[in-house]
Amino acid sequence: MPKSHKKKGGVSPDMNMTPMIDVIFQLIIFFMLVNQIIAEQLVQMIVPELDEPKTVEIEEDGRLIVNIAPSPYNSDRGIGELTIPGEATLVKVGLNDFSIDDIDAVKAALKEAKESADAAGQPLRILLRADAALYFEAVQPVMQAIASAQIQTVHLVAYLPEDQR
Amino acid sequence: MSPDAQSPDSWPMPNAPAPGGHQVYETVHHHSLRKKRGLPPVKMQVNLTSMIDVIFQLLIYFIVTATFSVGEGAITAKLPTGPGTPSQAKPPDRPLNIILSSASSSGYRISVRGAPSQPTSFSELGELLMRLQYNPERGLTEGAYKPDNPVIIKPAGDVRWQHVVNAFNAAVRARYMNISFAQSQSEG
Repeated sequence: MPKSHKKKGGVSPDMNMTPMIDVIFQLIIFFMLVNQIIAEQLVQMIVPELDEPKTVEIEEDGRLIVNIAPSPYNSDRGIGELTIPGEATLVKVGLNDFSIDDIDAVKAALKEAKESADAAGQPLRILLRADAALYFEAVQPVMQAIASAQIQTVHLVAYLPEDQR
Repeated sequence: MSPDAQSPDSWPMPNAPAPGGHQVYETVHHHSLRKKRGLPPVKMQVNLTSMIDVIFQLLIYFIVTATFSVGEGAITAKLPTGPGTPSQAKPPDRPLNIILSSASSSGYRISVRGAPSQPTSFSELGELLMRLQYNPERGLTEGAYKPDNPVIIKPAGDVRWQHVVNAFNAAVRARYMNISFAQSQSEG
């Protein structure tokens, strides 16, 4: 007959923490990566704020963000403050940075994205994310580049209504 | 001199040097008191509590700061395909033209071609576009433009993007379905 544990002073119960720590580490890595990927596609800027906005959230499937940003970003600037110079300096297509002067490279990148989306049979949703203070003439060459890649529609990014955030 | 304070000569010295010049040290085995007394060895355990605390803090931080939605949305627009022309291959007869130019006071000036009065703000533009619409389903019978008539926004090159998108949004708000951009006026 086995000896009772009581005679040895009892066994202290131990919880096996290893699986829990594994799962938590996986979660931490997941959140870190997701944060990183989203942040890399977004250039820091102030997008237009609209009167009675009709903006909607765009599906993530086939989404390609095209950023047009003035430089440098001023973190003290408030939403709706349009006093900065309206010239663009940077165009970012997905994860690739281009100078605004190198519009041919932007066109090539967009054409490549369109061709690969067509080859995969997936839709390509272009989100045009431009700073509110930019002049229209700074945004227009990029819109033409998008149109030249046989992309007819574009989604203009602005702030969502308060109740949808 | 106390017995503890021994001279360096009296310190335990290693054995005589080996022929190769290396000194050979005697191995001293340590036996724990528990073993000597016949008690079972103590199970070594790492205290995980503090690590779990830190990991939970990290996890909560990343969940809270995960920006899946950054408070931005979008409105769908058509793009110009050539200089001075809207995106349609065959533009219908009556496009509704909204011309935006820059002004020093508010930063923009709106003019709608053919409108009896010109709006001074984008909310007024939205109301005007609604009045110009013919849509019996919504009770709008005074206007001359159907919801599928093209609305072409023609911004000057020095108009800020915020105003361009606001004009576009006003047309979307008035429920026009065929809204597009023309080339910048300064160029075309």
